[in-house]
Amino acid sequence: MSGPEDTNPENGVPQEPTRDDPMIAAEWALGLLEGEELLAARGKYATDPAFAWRKEWWDDWFAPLSDAMPGAEPGEHVWDGIAARVATQQTPADAPTVAPLAAANVVQLEAKVRRWQSVAGLSSLAAAVALAWLALTPAQVSVVPLPNQTIAAAPLVATVPIGETGLRLDVTYVPEAKRIVVGAIGLTADGVHDHELWLVPTDGSALQSLGVVKPGEVRSMVLPESITAKLGDRAGLALTREPIGGKPEGKDAGPVVAKGAFTRV
Amino acid sequence: MAARPRPSTNEAREALQNAMARLAAGDQSALEEIYRATRVKLFGITLRILGDQKEAEDALQDVYVNLWQRADRYDPTRASPIAWLAAFARNRAIDRLRTGKVRAGSVPVEEAAPLADETPLADALLVDAEQAAQIHKCLGALDDRTQSHIRAAFFEGYTYAQLAEAADVPLGTMKSWIRRGLQRLRACLEASEAA
Repeated sequence: MSGPEDTNPENGVPQEPTRDDPMIAAEWALGLLEGEELLAARGKYATDPAFAWRKEWWDDWFAPLSDAMPGAEPGEHVWDGIAARVATQQTPADAPTVAPLAAANVVQLEAKVRRWQSVAGLSSLAAAVALAWLALTPAQVSVVPLPNQTIAAAPLVATVPIGETGLRLDVTYVPEAKRIVVGAIGLTADGVHDHELWLVPTDGSALQSLGVVKPGEVRSMVLPESITAKLGDRAGLALTREPIGGKPEGKDAGPVVAKGAFTRV
Repeated sequence: MAARPRPSTNEAREALQNAMARLAAGDQSALEEIYRATRVKLFGITLRILGDQKEAEDALQDVYVNLWQRADRYDPTRASPIAWLAAFARNRAIDRLRTGKVRAGSVPVEEAAPLADETPLADALLVDAEQAAQIHKCLGALDDRTQSHIRAAFFEGYTYAQLAEAADVPLGTMKSWIRRGLQRLRACLEASEAA
């Protein structure tokens, strides 16, 4: 049936509804949000119990509508895929990766990492992992010149705040090792997206992929010359939302959900 | 519209609730039980939203893997397990849709082939009939235009922009229509809760 619209009694013009949190929760539950708004809603869900309650309230109410969607039988391989993924994730995801450190130069390394930490405000975990790979990679340990660190070889750091969630990526680049450490502690995977990190060179040349971010993990990798050549002070970083596995070949990258830039420590 | 939900079977619901609780406690075998009981309904949802068999199967896998990872998120005091899982599956499918890999609403509700009645357990798990009646009543109280746009958002996974384009109206107009509708919907649902 058609009912009268909510109108202003004085001029008959429909009143614009207030877009308060319950309204945003409704829009999200219905699936209307995209881009930054969607990301902001997810962040709010994680931090604001009243908003989370209201989102679930709408989900609960809308759920019966799905009874009008006819059921369908998925292929038999679907369960096999689920079982395989559960099996691979069951083992040591939570196991600590920092092994006991014994090398004589660990103390020096530790001091060095502390120095970066104090200057850059790195999270202690990111620093601990940076320490771990420096100490545990024999090739690196032998080549890392501990003393006499030059200005040119000083690490570059960047933080990439994720919307208004209070969460961020911590990215550290160590020129002498050509190694980048990406910390995504506190972020959680939603199961259907990956986020891909991109280097935005200051010379305006094409973006370079730094790979898919692993939520909740600190990851380090050696970068090829083609990327390190572009990686300097004030080089930018962009985070895009992609399908699982990262940007598909031949497709445009997904929406940029966060940005940052490197500064030299 | 499909047939009205049948009365739920308490045993089936309790079995599912029990399996969900066991999963939350770390019993991995519960996951297969939940999958067997709910896959038809949840795949119907991901297929409806994504309109592509492969995408919908991938989304379905994500739903159950995610469920296994975060089974503690389900609060048995809040909703029936199947309603919660249905919302969960639809949300995951919508998320996937927003990655831009697939187009929304490839299969209109009326044209999607219904599955033959060969899954009594899934049928028995249909969400609470009273709750279903209330949301239909409150939606039905909206003007036809608003109602159809809200339904299109739910069933096709359309964004504001897509709805505006389909209706050939400015984006701001579509947002106003839907927000007014959601405001009235909320008032109606809250009134029913208070009653």
